[in-house]
Amino acid sequence: MIVYRLGWTMALLTIALALPASAASAASAASAASAASESAAQPFALQEVAPGVFVHFGRMLPLDAPGHDDIANIGFIVGEQCVAVIDTGGSMRIGRALRAAIKTRTRRPVCTVINTHVHVDHVLGNAAFSPDHPSFVGHARLPAAIARNRLYFVSQYAGDLDQPASAQQIIAPDRLVQTTLELDLGGRRLSLRAWPTAHTDCDLTVFDEKTGTLWTGDLLFRERLPAVDGDVSGWLAVLDDLARIKVQRAVPGHGSLALDLAAALMPERAYLQALLEGVHEAIDQGQSMQEALDHTAEAQRPQWQLWDSTHARNVARVYQQLEWQ
Amino acid sequence: MQHIAFIRRRHANHPWGAALSLLWLAALGGSALAFADAPPASGAWDYLRPQFYADREIGIGDAAFLNLEVPASTPDPAATPLTVRFGDRTIGQLKQLRVIIDNNPSPVVSTFEFAAGVRVAEIDLRVRIDRLTSVRAIAETTDGRLEMRSGWVDASGGCSAAPAAAAGGTIGDIRFRNTPDGKALQVGIRHPNNSGFQIDPLSGNPIPPHYVTHIRFSADGRTLVDVDAGISLSENPTIRIASDTALPEPVTVEVIDSKDAHFSASWRGPTTGGETISDAASPTASR
Repeated sequence: MIVYRLGWTMALLTIALALPASAASAASAASAASAASESAAQPFALQEVAPGVFVHFGRMLPLDAPGHDDIANIGFIVGEQCVAVIDTGGSMRIGRALRAAIKTRTRRPVCTVINTHVHVDHVLGNAAFSPDHPSFVGHARLPAAIARNRLYFVSQYAGDLDQPASAQQIIAPDRLVQTTLELDLGGRRLSLRAWPTAHTDCDLTVFDEKTGTLWTGDLLFRERLPAVDGDVSGWLAVLDDLARIKVQRAVPGHGSLALDLAAALMPERAYLQALLEGVHEAIDQGQSMQEALDHTAEAQRPQWQLWDSTHARNVARVYQQLEWQ
Repeated sequence: MQHIAFIRRRHANHPWGAALSLLWLAALGGSALAFADAPPASGAWDYLRPQFYADREIGIGDAAFLNLEVPASTPDPAATPLTVRFGDRTIGQLKQLRVIIDNNPSPVVSTFEFAAGVRVAEIDLRVRIDRLTSVRAIAETTDGRLEMRSGWVDASGGCSAAPAAAAGGTIGDIRFRNTPDGKALQVGIRHPNNSGFQIDPLSGNPIPPHYVTHIRFSADGRTLVDVDAGISLSENPTIRIASDTALPEPVTVEVIDSKDAHFSASWRGPTTGGETISDAASPTASR
């Protein structure tokens, strides 16, 4: 039996050695080098924004820049029994860094991984938590959204997954939120809420009742220009509801901690409103998409970071949605 | 003949080209035949120029002739806006406009044939762009003069992009939008315009090509503009034509697709308001 196993090990080793060594080792060396320089330059910072609520604030970088896997705000909440992770970052590397950071703060196990929506910068680190065997929780429409994007993620973000990149590394939720869901971490209740189509079609917020902390996911962008992947009108309606929630603080999907949620929502509202009205007007006036790109919401530009890499895509998307309504 | 030249070009310039195209053909399965004579992945202009224009002189400097506007970096690879503006020298004397995207799998986007005397001042399109490429517009006037403009566009994956969530509706629906002065008319056609390079994101299976091949604008029974189209137009193909005078009305648009379905609708002029939904759309699969 031992001999048999050894035989298999040898066979696997032989196969591994027979792989095109140049390509494989070059790729792993490159990713190791970039990971090393990244971690040297940017230690994984954690901020305890409220007792037991830890946030790693993402960087203000475009999605195609080095470090693009570390742009989202991610973190965790520690209960008396266990830990809930909220979003896992844009790569296995960031997911593992978050997992390691959790272990420096608590010995309690990770029982739940919550994804606030489908975007890469929030979900690609999910598989880093597989060894903890957590329950993965998301919006009821998140599984379909992940299924639609799986091939795209594996091909376009292969470098952010373990090699070889595989569809199995993109983990979908096993526990779904239709409208609301209460999670008990032991002496600490989280209330999750699934929203109608806004930033995406699968936005979820997490409210920690103990500290009055609301994780908005990407329903709230601060400083960084909001990206529209769902429905602008729907998003504006959701902002009305969010502004009415009484919270002590809000952790946005991108940008700095907000202590006054209603005030923090106003710049985003102003941009989305200008985007919607500008594109509507362009279409009503018979303007081409290019003309809409040239003029829409230009006055908003000084308020935002990463305007150039996001605004044109927003206009093109909204124009193509509205022209058929 | 042309297709043999393209295959040779692949071998000569890009050792992986032939292998990659074979992979594509394998992946496309049943739809492979439609692409067996697809142009090469690069260098299309070197082959298309002698084919379309022989050794005729093509000017590049006359601002009164035409201008091309494309974004340096596209806001949407699957629907990149492209604007061709004609100058005083050209308006009223246009014979033909051809738009070419060098590095697309099907480089010839559209060929517009203009009826004599039609005063077209501007044409806007939305195109799929597969990767970093030069985009060309070549205009010919009735006196036989040719001018070309080109621009670079950075993009990735426009021809293989999954169908957008905004797709849907009833195939063949035609929607008109005009400027308040009645000089410009945008025509949107509900159609997936599947390129044959798209993959169904859920099943992983290739989506067969299905695209608009021909669009004709006419008024009073007389053709104004005839457009040959193909897979490089975006989903829901959209063309905007502007003149320096008010457009005739009604304008009738007739569309034929690669399954030989016919659609048509008429725009009854700016007096009906900024938007006219086609009331005469007549999807009929003829023959």
